[in-house]
Amino acid sequence: MPPVDIGDRLRSLPGGSAVALKLDPREYADHYFAVLNATLRDVGSETNAHTVYVAVTSPAAFVWTLAQALDVPRERISFVDAISHIMMNYSNPLENATYVDSPRALEEIMLRVEYLLRKFPHPRSIVVIDSVNSLAIHNPPELLSEFFHILLNNLKSRSVLTLVLETSDEEQSGVEQMLNLVVDETIDVARAGR
Amino acid sequence: MSSGSPPPPSETLAPSGLMGPSLQLERCATGIEGLDNILGGGIPRGNMVLVAGSVGTGKTTLSLEFLVRGAERGERSLFISVTEASAKLIQNLSTFEFFRTELVDQGSLVFVDLPVIYERLGLSNEELNAEEIGILIRTIRDLVRTLGVRRLVLDSLTSVCYRIHKEEQIRDFMLRLGEELKEAGCTSVLVSEIGPNPGRYSLHGVEEAIVDGVILLWNARRMGDILRVVQVVKMRGAAHSRAQYVMELTPIGILMAPHLKGGREGGA
Ligand SMILES: Nc1ncnc2c1ncn2[C@@H]1O[C@H](COP(=O)(O)OP(=O)(O)O)[C@@H](O)[C@H]1O
Ligand SMILES: [Mg+2]
Repeated sequence: MPPVDIGDRLRSLPGGSAVALKLDPREYADHYFAVLNATLRDVGSETNAHTVYVAVTSPAAFVWTLAQALDVPRERISFVDAISHIMMNYSNPLENATYVDSPRALEEIMLRVEYLLRKFPHPRSIVVIDSVNSLAIHNPPELLSEFFHILLNNLKSRSVLTLVLETSDEEQSGVEQMLNLVVDETIDVARAGR
Repeated sequence: MSSGSPPPPSETLAPSGLMGPSLQLERCATGIEGLDNILGGGIPRGNMVLVAGSVGTGKTTLSLEFLVRGAERGERSLFISVTEASAKLIQNLSTFEFFRTELVDQGSLVFVDLPVIYERLGLSNEELNAEEIGILIRTIRDLVRTLGVRRLVLDSLTSVCYRIHKEEQIRDFMLRLGEELKEAGCTSVLVSEIGPNPGRYSLHGVEEAIVDGVILLWNARRMGDILRVVQVVKMRGAAHSRAQYVMELTPIGILMAPHLKGGREGGA
């Protein structure tokens, strides 16, 4: 099969789809940028959808810098930042971010996502969760699968396109198996054309 | 939901989980989406519901949103305040983005200070006697009837009960108030102030047996984080969820999400 373009693939999905985007840790920077590009620029700008970005791996401020480099306007993206507080990196809070105390406050993350989706309503909003691995560092597996199960079902019922970032090599970890059960499909960024 | 016919007056037709929706009582949608989902559409109309929790758990905020959402839908709403001045409460309402001052100006949302009523009625004794309790009930009833009130909040029942010392009289007060409100088709929320670990939902304990519903609010801890938790403990006439939910007070109103089970234990 010829490699699919990530942006094309995401655009072709029905509303309410949940997708795992698999990034190779050896080419992380490359893959991560490809994903941001496909998500924020290709898909987001075409539909003018609002993206709610759940930042657990890097602070929202860092992701926002990259988004700006991709010419994403401020009103098209907002952040739920669950990492800045525990990294003691909260001195310059972003205007378009809401900060939760820790990546363990999973209900709080769900509620802030809901808040932002209601605040910026759009028939095809996008939610990015970056990443399942970072959440797994701070949360036990049963809690995490409960979280994903509830959140993704909720987002599906609101026709939100949900993208879950996942960093992994060949070995299938427990986290990946769990994620496979709740997403509609997995896109392997290493195999996708960009 | 059946249309046209008035709701059955008693709870004898209350749905069990197995009955079809056509047998359900007419609901008063609170307008708080999460809560309405938990309740299966809202509070059965005419129910008297206790909202119990310790200080700062969000009882007043939840009650206010219930009224504002009602007023928005054209249901006249009455807030009877005992401890906080109306002016201050109205000021607090501006934290809700969906609140419009016209609702108050047009009389869709009415605030009454109970101390003012006490004074007008000459109820100055620290302890209310049977006659005075009767006067208080009639006054509330007349307010509800005259204004056509469909939603009522008493914040708080606890401070009224501090002035009624005999359990028997509290029972009587609540039963009669409940009857009057039900007859008027008025759905009510009575705020109950309790300690953080009270073992019951009201000052004397009799209150919770009389009301049609109990909604409990408390603060839960998980690994040092504090969560606001809400649980519908009882609701006559509704097949409701008994699960725990986490709630957040936001400028667009109260939002709720399931309280994840894996996180119940663990202390601070
Ligand atoms: N819209 C809101 N957004 C955020 N916080 C709020 C909002 N409304 C109230 N609060 C806060 O929530 C807390 C609980 O308020 P309140 O409803 O008065 O509790 P209770 O009546 O149970 O004592 C207060 O500290 C208040 O500042
Ligand atoms: Mg209060």
